[in-house]
Amino acid sequence: MSPLQFCLIFSGVLFSVGLAGALARSNAILVLLGIELMLNAANLNFIAFWRYGPASAPATGVIFVIFSIAVTAAETAVGLALVIAIHRHQRSIRLQEATRLKG
Amino acid sequence: MTPDYAGLFSALRPEISLVLGALLVLGLDLTLYRRHSPGGRLQLALWVGSLALLTAGFQVWRAEPGTVFGGVLIIDQLAMASRLGVLGLTLLTFGITQGSPARRQPAEYVAIMLLAASGLLLMAAAQQLLLAFLALELASLSLYVLAGFDRTRPESAEAGLKYFLFGGMAAAFLLFGFSLVYGATGSVELTEIARQIAAQGSNPLLVVGLVMVLVAFGFKVAAAPFHLWAPDVYQGAPAPSAALIASASKLAGFTLFTRLLWPAFGAAAGSATWLNSGAGWFRAVAALAAVSLVLGNVAALAQTSLRRLLAYSAIAHAGALLLGVLAVGSAGPGPLFYYALTYGLATVGAFGVIAVMETAGRCERITDLAGLHRRSPLLAGCLAIFILSLAGIPPLAGFFGKLTVFSAALHAGGIRSPAGGLAVLAIALSAVALYYYLMVLKQALVAGPADGAPPIKVPRAATLALVTAAALIVWFGMNPSALLGLF
Repeated sequence: MSPLQFCLIFSGVLFSVGLAGALARSNAILVLLGIELMLNAANLNFIAFWRYGPASAPATGVIFVIFSIAVTAAETAVGLALVIAIHRHQRSIRLQEATRLKG
Repeated sequence: MTPDYAGLFSALRPEISLVLGALLVLGLDLTLYRRHSPGGRLQLALWVGSLALLTAGFQVWRAEPGTVFGGVLIIDQLAMASRLGVLGLTLLTFGITQGSPARRQPAEYVAIMLLAASGLLLMAAAQQLLLAFLALELASLSLYVLAGFDRTRPESAEAGLKYFLFGGMAAAFLLFGFSLVYGATGSVELTEIARQIAAQGSNPLLVVGLVMVLVAFGFKVAAAPFHLWAPDVYQGAPAPSAALIASASKLAGFTLFTRLLWPAFGAAAGSATWLNSGAGWFRAVAALAAVSLVLGNVAALAQTSLRRLLAYSAIAHAGALLLGVLAVGSAGPGPLFYYALTYGLATVGAFGVIAVMETAGRCERITDLAGLHRRSPLLAGCLAIFILSLAGIPPLAGFFGKLTVFSAALHAGGIRSPAGGLAVLAIALSAVALYYYLMVLKQALVAGPADGAPPIKVPRAATLALVTAAALIVWFGMNPSALLGLF
């Protein structure tokens, strides 16, 4: 198996694990963790394609990853703030209890 | 290529003035206005913010068309028009912010709105995957915060968290899709991607990447089956935030979506007849449009909450807008832009009415609108225009938007093509939609007020915003060429 294939399979598995976690977990923090895994799988893809993929402008993949890591950090900060906001109101971060809005 | 930083700077002047405006709002609030009343601080923040928006609008107006920084940004008619549209819708949102309950952090609220607007401006002009991702995230992160901004209400926190969790997942799908597109074509520039796709044809990597991008955009524009966040967010978020999420964010989202699909992935749309296109994205978008139209219109029938009704009607309108995206290939972006902008105006207006009513009392259920024509004739009149425009009654802009999008879709492939069939479906479902829109109007215009319901006093800024939105809807409905002639 070529290194590129190995990387793609690994990132595919990572993405699936993250998606499963994000969909199945009831703890808001763990859902956040699942989303992080999905984003990191995408970052891995960029690095793999940059290293082994078709020749292109140098460093595009790496620069994309650096930016996306920064965005991910900002996203986590906002996410944790929202988790804290909901914890203030319902004294738990279980998503099953966030059922005020429905119809 | 030598980077052209001067060109980049001059192209980004609108965004720069928005960010400076946001900093100025925060700075003034923390220093000079620290001891003022919340009402005074909100006034100041809104004035400074409006000034920043107007400056940005002037600079968008003056911008020279062309590509910037080696094709990272493109300033064309569509970019310019939707940038102006985003700024105008944000300005209207500022107008209705006045009417909502005074917040504890007025300056932060306005500053985050300005940051969201600058993200949306970048989305409207992005022509490269990295910039598209960054702009989308800047706008989305600001919108998550805006949705969860009201700390006194648990509903707002819940709306923010739900929006964030769905949005985060969509961002992951988008990034993964972009990475596969990058892998398949070796570039992040849309023009280069288009050339590669035309040269090498479809490949599995590209198809998977494209599907993931479609999922992410389906979320962003609240198309079924990725619409689950929309009703909750529309219901729980503060009214001005919901107005921004429903209008400006949708307009910029559709602009970016169109730019990704047609110029970049145009070659992967599927064959010209669309009947035997197994791999093209055309079928996927058509399916999203059909599901959104049916689900949005049918689910809206059962709603008792006004905001949830608007949310499901937004899903239905997203379906019609996706139909407009399909028609871009043959009719250009004109019909899509016209529909998105006039829909945004009507939605901002409807949420503006909700915001004013919430200041005066409560406005959760549709029956809370009862007797609005006695309590405030102005609000009732404006609401009638917005709702009738959403329903598509001539001579309002909503009618002409539907007409131009549906006729573009029918022209594209005739009535037997999938797009033509979708147009017929959308026309039939418009009749269904008329029922729930008229239910709202019946409460507002016919039913008598509840006992002891006092008259509603409409703040001046909200009056101005609502009347402007209503006047624009009537005017664009009478003169559709004012917008369609741009393209």
